Formats: sequence, structure tokens, C-alpha cells
Amino acid sequence: MVCIRQATIDDLLAMQACNLMCLPENYQMKYYFYHMLSWPQLLFVAEDYGGRIVGYVLAKMEEDPSEPCHGHITSLAVLRSHRKLGLATKLMSAAQAAMDQVFGAEYVSLHVRRSNRAAFNLYTSTLGYQIHDIEAKYYADGEDAYDMRKMLRQPVPKKHHHHHHAGGGCCSHDAPAAAAGSSPSSASPEKKAES
Amino acid sequence: MGSSLPAKEANLFKVIVKSYETKQYKKGLKAADSILKKFPEHGETLSMKGLTLNCMDRKSEAYELVRRGLKNDLKSHVCWHVYGLLYRSDREYREAIKCYRNALRIDPDNIEILRDLSLLQAQMRDLSGFVETRQQLLTLKPNHRMNWIGFAVSHHLSSNSSKAIEVLEAYEGTLEDDYPPENERYEHGEMLLYKISLLEECGMLDRALQEMHKMESKIVDKLSFREQMACILLKLGRFEEAEKIYRSLLFMNPDNYKYLIAVQKCLGLYSENGHYSADDVERLSALYKSLKEEYSWSSAVKRIPLDFLEGEKFQEAADNYVRPLLTKGVPSLFSDLSPLYEHPGKANILEQLFLKLEDSIRTSGCFPGSSQMEPPSTLMWTLLLVSQHYDRRSQYDIALDKIDEAILHTPTVIDLYSIKGNILQHAGNFSAAAALADEARSMDLADRYLNSECVMQMLQADQVGLAEKTAVLFTKDGDQHNNLHDMQCMWYELASGESYFRQGDLGRALKNFLAVEKHYTDMTEDQFDFHSYCLRKMTLRAYVSMLKFQDRLHAHEYFHKAAAGAIRCYMKLHDSPLKSSAEENDELSKLPAAQRKKLRQKQKKAEARAKREAEEKQEDETTSTNSSKSGKKQQARPVDLDPHGEKLVQVEDPLAEATKYLKLLQNNSSDSLETHILSFELNMRKQKVLLAFQAVKQLIKLDENNPDSHRSLIRFFHRINNLPAPGTDSEKLIWNVLEAERPDLRQLHGKSLVEVNINFLEKHNASLTHRAAAAEMMYLLEPDKKLQAIKLIEDSTNNTASGNGVLGPIKEWGIQDCIDVHKLLDTVFADQDVANRWKVRCAEYFPCSTYFEGVKSAITAHIPGSTSESSPENGDVPSPQAKLEGDTHSLNGTVHVVDDLSNLSMR
Repeated sequence: MVCIRQATIDDLLAMQACNLMCLPENYQMKYYFYHMLSWPQLLFVAEDYGGRIVGYVLAKMEEDPSEPCHGHITSLAVLRSHRKLGLATKLMSAAQAAMDQVFGAEYVSLHVRRSNRAAFNLYTSTLGYQIHDIEAKYYADGEDAYDMRKMLRQPVPKKHHHHHHAGGGCCSHDAPAAAAGSSPSSASPEKKAES
Repeated sequence: MGSSLPAKEANLFKVIVKSYETKQYKKGLKAADSILKKFPEHGETLSMKGLTLNCMDRKSEAYELVRRGLKNDLKSHVCWHVYGLLYRSDREYREAIKCYRNALRIDPDNIEILRDLSLLQAQMRDLSGFVETRQQLLTLKPNHRMNWIGFAVSHHLSSNSSKAIEVLEAYEGTLEDDYPPENERYEHGEMLLYKISLLEECGMLDRALQEMHKMESKIVDKLSFREQMACILLKLGRFEEAEKIYRSLLFMNPDNYKYLIAVQKCLGLYSENGHYSADDVERLSALYKSLKEEYSWSSAVKRIPLDFLEGEKFQEAADNYVRPLLTKGVPSLFSDLSPLYEHPGKANILEQLFLKLEDSIRTSGCFPGSSQMEPPSTLMWTLLLVSQHYDRRSQYDIALDKIDEAILHTPTVIDLYSIKGNILQHAGNFSAAAALADEARSMDLADRYLNSECVMQMLQADQVGLAEKTAVLFTKDGDQHNNLHDMQCMWYELASGESYFRQGDLGRALKNFLAVEKHYTDMTEDQFDFHSYCLRKMTLRAYVSMLKFQDRLHAHEYFHKAAAGAIRCYMKLHDSPLKSSAEENDELSKLPAAQRKKLRQKQKKAEARAKREAEEKQEDETTSTNSSKSGKKQQARPVDLDPHGEKLVQVEDPLAEATKYLKLLQNNSSDSLETHILSFELNMRKQKVLLAFQAVKQLIKLDENNPDSHRSLIRFFHRINNLPAPGTDSEKLIWNVLEAERPDLRQLHGKSLVEVNINFLEKHNASLTHRAAAAEMMYLLEPDKKLQAIKLIEDSTNNTASGNGVLGPIKEWGIQDCIDVHKLLDTVFADQDVANRWKVRCAEYFPCSTYFEGVKSAITAHIPGSTSESSPENGDVPSPQAKLEGDTHSLNGTVHVVDDLSNLSMR
């Protein structure tokens, strides 16, 4: 039916199209490049039998050294036409496993609109997320977000990977505003005129 | 840097540099001004001031100052470097490279400048220069990891993978045995995987394997590790070992087709084209049977056998596959099965199977041979499947009947409405399709997917204004009205462009097509920051594949469509230029003086108003974006001074513009027929005989049987034959080339064009599109045979396609082909009576088509305002005729996005 696999660079345009089709939180291509070139292990797609991308998960590692090492789901989407196949669950599980195995994440976080009951249920009942906090007016239209978390392993005392940082979203999805700040351009300051 | 200044000013100069780096431009400016007060012609200070102003959006001052600074101090590497940075900020990379090179002539070992230069060389794919610069950097600073890695990558990009491996190994030689420390494990593992992929690329498979065994504990990405190892083992023919790994991968993810195909390969059971011997099919069946037991939760292992099974076995497998999905109610079931319709014979088997299931559920409530009662929804999902089946087979009447029955059964399932909309679209009633999609949208206003589908249908129905209003419901970003363009929503821009093109609004059409083209330019630009970023992050495999992706970016489908659309617009502009203002004046002059004056005043007022509005809007946007809490766009975007593309259509030489985009298509989509059709059309208009001839040759090579290839061939030589004898030397030269090439075209061998055309007709006698092409060419070659040509078209028969369906014959002709023929009769043959006759005939075949005004096309679906409670007032039996107003929809989830766009062909 639908193939779940790691995304490649050639999937990014289709992932962007899928995102624009389904979700109100959208990102420019550069942000997809940024994910793929920072944590290539954390992007997965659902591809239907005809080769079309019908769902994806875009995830990242937070790289704020003051916090424990953890992952974040930037965006998750499945086309309405491909519901009831369990794709969102499979995509999420794949991304979570990679966060754990490759990056040693202690937990994974995400944002979801308060009004999005379907996504909220998926995260709580199927995937085991819990509400960590509420971010007031997180989304551009003024809606609040639940800040949700799921533990991946027991906290390891003081063993941080160094990681980076940015904002996320998914059937939850990060508001794009948070996204904009985290491209490598902001990470690589303008070159200076001299040495 | 600032060296020629006294101590106090030299310190101030450092302040300028520091402020620039920390983006405190005002502070930097102040420091620069106080130096310049004392030393008004100090070159480096002038340059730095210019660079600072550049960051404050004062571009023209910036260039002036930087150039003046350079003139005052040509020997300063700072001035040259700054000049390069200025060009770089404007994406003038070639100029920037020149400036950096000048700077390096003065200060050859300047690391900062070398690093900047290397980024530009990577961006511009100056690969030999890139290797050279990377070598210098490594020589100067061999203790930096990044310099080793950069040098290796530069060799890899210049197709010297073995040298790249050597460099990486030399780098590894500098590391301690216990490397890496805990916090560098990911980066080091990525480097190792990169090296292994290089070994694999060079065909050093055994060494790659050794390396993997040796380094296993240092590679954290275990999934990539195992995939790569299995792949190498497979290449080495060590099938058993490879199979073992693939099976373990399947255990973790049994929904990855790649693994299943690989297991088949390990067992010698894989064929590219899907053809298998009877024996192989046996073994494959056995394989998938065992896989099914092992991975019962995998849907892939159940679906794949439908591809290789045939006949009764296929029917049985399909039956088993479909039943649980109908019970569960999986909306994508049909789209999952639809690739099987390409396999000969399977569509008929599926049809019989589906009807059998429908009948059984309807009469007994159970599937055939089962005593298990199905839930009521099973009938609804079965009707949907049957409906989509008939839609796929172009039997729209039956498809609509079935979907109506499904809607009647459960009026609350939104998907039914959008699928009905799709069926109506295929059947040729775009406005009814849009109305249905809108109905579906109104049933769940929070679902953007329904909104997008609706917008798509509206654009297909040429309701552009409504489409925009609908799309905007989801695309407000703070106070910004519509961020579809900012978010690079290309399907929307393409579909809008194509709709405007159909409606003859070339300005807006171009505006949209060029917007898409701009996104691709931006994506090319996007890679810039990653040249240094990825060397730090060590995501080298991803980085190199990103560069390769960029190199073929313009081959992407959306770009192709946008470029083709723009070329068509420009050709149309050339064919029927807009009225010049002189002509307009001419028309004006025919009016009485008083009226003329009034009109002129009106025009002036309108212009003034438009300008005022644009300015106000700009102000609005400036303030709103600044206050928006997202803080996403720091700078207000400049106002679009040409929102409707009115300036775009005033281009001086439309064909020259078109040529720019044609070149991109030729370089990136040379295997597409459309590229060469456009090249032919464009070069014929430009009188570029040899280039047009190239296009003809390409078309014949790609597909000599294509009607458009045939048209081009005939039209080209017909034109040549009718040219006057060559006069000038260059004309004679062209003539000689053509004479020399002509014998190479097999089609022409010793035959007249009339004969060539007749041969083509005889070869494709049964096909409508080929007959139409032959008729058109007959009329071109022998205008007195017009009636005969028309007869050729009218005598075409709409045969029954092979494989008669259970519920009636399936006709061969497609709706779009019939529309094209109508346009041909209407415009080229310019015979109203014949065209009308054709229309009446096609209205029979396509009763829902609004183009042909079929009997069912007038009932436009749907009464605005009748939303979800549109329960059909047509009693119990949904009779297809009455129904449309109930609403109908159909859209099988799948067809949409990409498919639908590809249908929007523009003629």
C-alpha cells in the first residue's frame, strides 16, 4: 500500500507540496534543506504505490546546550485521502527511533493546535505524548499550542550531545515564525572583511 | 587594514569592522564618519562605510563609496575583498570571484578571503578552482578538521573519488585512536559513512566492507550502516549474507518496498519490467506467502503479489486484499489499486470482482461465501470503489450513479463529495466539479486539504477570483493578506497561470509562470549557506546529494510547466501584439472631442488612484510586518509595481524572452517531446531554419509516431519547399546543410510530402488524433482537398476499446482529444457547420461536458447555499439525471494534486 522510508533530497519538493496541501503552517524550501542537511536521519516519507508522496515527518534535534538532548517534530502531515492507514503513527515511530538511536535523544517534543483533536488524540493515546506546557498564541492566527513531550529513555545524567536548535510543528506543526530563525544563514554570521 | 592610519583612527577602524560583524551598523557608520572627517579619502574606510551602508539598504551609495575607496587604494586587499562582498550580496558571483582573486594577488595567504572564494567556487561549480583553493586552505591550516574535509569533498566533486579517499585517510591518520570524544561521535560517524560511500562509488567493494567491519563501533547511524552493508554484499553477489540483513531491516520496517525488492534480488527473483516466468511466479508466490506469515502487519507484502499474479490467482489475491479494506473503510483503496489498470486484463477481472462484492453485500449483507455480517458502511465503501473503477474507465454515467448511491447511503462522508467532484471534472463539467469541491470544503472548514482541492477545481473551472478568496482563508499570515507566493505554493501559481492563459490574460498568466521560475532561482540561491555549514556539520553524504540535486533542479516538473507556459505566452504576444498606444490614440480619435477628453481624464484619474493605493498598501505592509510578532520579515517587501503583469506583456521582443526559457528546457528536459515542440514553434517564428530543423530531428527521434512530430516534419519541409531560391551566401549555406541532412530522415526517402502524409495516415488509420493530424497536413499541403480532409476526420469511428465492460461498452476517445479536434475544425478549417456537427456528435459521447453542451451539462450541479443538508430530493432511486443537485462528488483522494495539474494542458 504505502511505503515508509527515509526521505532523500529528491523528496523535499514533494514534501513541501504535501505540506502546502494539508497544513496552514508552511515553510520555504530552504527550511527543508536545513533539516535534510542537518539531521538527514530524521526525515521520513510515506510514498504510495504510484510513487507519490502522501505523507511525511520533518524532525530535528534541539541544540540548546542548556537543555537535555532532545528531538523535536517540526511538521507531520498525511494527505486526507490517505487516512486510516496508520501512516502518521508509522512516520512518527520511525523518526522517534532515529532520534533515540542516532542522536541519543532523551525525549521528543512537539507543538499542536489546541483545536486539533484528531492530532491530539494521536499523540496522547497512540503515541504516548503528554502535555508539558501551553504556549499562548503560538500560531499566527492567535491559537494556542500544546507543548507536548514523550520520553524516549531514562534521563542520562549529564551526557549532552551538542545539538542545535529551532522551532517545530506537526499535525502539529511549528509555526513558521520559529522556523525562520534557524536557517544556517543565521548560524553562519556574515563574513567579515578581514581576518 | 587601517594600517596607514594613526593609532586613534586605526582603533576606530577596528570598531567599524567589529560593528559590521555584529550588525551594529549605526555604530560602524559613526566610526567611519569620524575617520573620514580627518582623512576624507582613506580608501579602506570608504570601502567599509560602503559595505555598512549596503547592509542598511542604501545600495547606490554603497557601490559609489566602495568603488571610490578602491580607486584610492588599489593595493589594499581589504578594498578588493569588500568589493567582492558587495557583489556577492547582489548574487553577482562571477564579479565577486574576480574581486577576491585580486585581493589574493595582494595577500595570497589570507584565510578569510580564501574561504570566501571557496564558497563562491562551490556555488558556481568552478570545480578545479575549488580544489585549488581548498588545497591552499589545507596547506595553510592543516590543524583544522574542516580544511581536510573540504579538500576531500572538492576532489569528490571533481570526479576524483579515489583522491578524496586518500585525503580522508590522511586526515584519519592525524587522529588519536580513541577519537572521537563523546560529543563528536555523530560527526565522525558521518565522515566514515561518507568515506565508505566513496569506496563503493569507486567500485572498491571489498575494501568498503573491511572498513565497515573495522569501524562499526564508531558509526552511530546504524540504519544507514546496515543498508549500505547489505547493498554492498548484494553487489558482491554474497546473496545469503545480504538477504539476512535485508530481512532484519524488514523486521524493523516491513513497509519499505526497497527492502522487499532487495530480498527478491538476493533470491534471483527480480525483473525490472515486471515480467516473470511461470516458474518464477510460483517461487515469488511462495516467498510472499512466507513473508506474510512473518510480517503479518505489513501491507506491502500483501499488495506486491497483485503485480505479478495473473488470471484466477490474481482474482483470488485481489479479493482477499480488498475485503478487509472495504470493511475497515480505507479511502485510498482505489488509488492503491489503480496502477494495476495498466496491466492487460486486470481491469476486467477487478470489475467483475467489484460487482460481485457489491451484489453480495447488497443482497445478503455479507461478502460472497461468508456468513459474517458486514457493517452497513461496507456497502458505501464498495459503491465508492465501484464508482472510482468506472471513472477510471471513462464510464462517467455509471460512476456518477454509483457515487450518488453511496452519498445517499451515508450523506456525511465528506470524501464522497470531493470524489464526485473529480468524476465530474473528468466528465468535462468543471463548474459542477468546483461546486462539489466547495460543498466538501464547507463540511469541514478547518481542513486545508479540502480547501486546496476546492481551489484546484475552481482554477480548472477558470474561477480565479473565487479561487483566490478561498485559498486565502488558509494563507493569512498575521496581517499579510496572502502568503502563497512567499511560501512557494507552486501548484497554485501554475494552475492560476494556466487559467489566465486559457482566458487570454497573458499578463497575469506570465506573472504566475515567472513567479514559479523565481522560486527555482531562489532554491539555487538557497544552497549558498550550506557550503560551509555542511563541512562543519559533517553531513557530507547529504551535502553532496544536495549539490547533485541542485544541478538538475531545472528538470523538475513544476519548472518545466512554468517555463513552457511562459514560452507559450510570449509566442502568443508575438503572434498578436498588444495594441500600441498609437493605435489606441487612433481609436480615441474616432470619438467626438468631448468624449475623448473625458476618457483621457478618466484614465489619468485611474492611474493616480492606482499609484496612491500601491503606496498606501506599501505603508500598511511596512508597519504591519514590523509589528507582527513573528518578526519573520525584517524588511518590508518592496511593493509589486506590476501586480497584474501589465508591464510584462509590454516586453519589446517576446521571442527573445521565450528563448531564455527554451534554453533552460533544452538543457534540462531534453527528453521531453514538449521541449522540442516549443523549440520548433519558437524557431519557426524566429525564422531560424536550422534550429527548427534540429527540433524536428529531435521529435522524430523521440517519437516519430506522435501526431505533433508528424505535424512538425511536414510543416517544416513545406515551408522550406516554398521558400524562394537562396539568395545570400548564408541562405545558400543553410540550404546545403538541409540538402545534406534530408536523406537521413527515413520518413522522407524519395517521397513527396503528400506521400509521407498518406503513409502516416495509413499507419495510424484507426486513431482519431493521428487522423486529425494527417487531415490538417493534407489541407496545408493541398488546400483544394479541404473537403476530403474534413471527411477524413468525420469518418473516424469511436471504437469500443478492447475489453468490453460488464455494464456497457468503453469508448476509445478521450474528451480532450475531441475538444482539440473541435478547435481544429473551428479555427484551422474554419468551417462552422462541420464544427457544430462535431460538437453534436461529441455531446452524445460526453453528456456531462459543458464544452460540448451535452444533455447533462446544463444541470450545473448545484445550488449555492445548499450545503450539507442537500439531501437529494430525488426519492429513493438515485436517478442519475436528477441528481446533480444533490451534490456529488467524487474525488478519489488520489488523483489530485499532481495528476490534476498535469491535465491542465494548454493549447
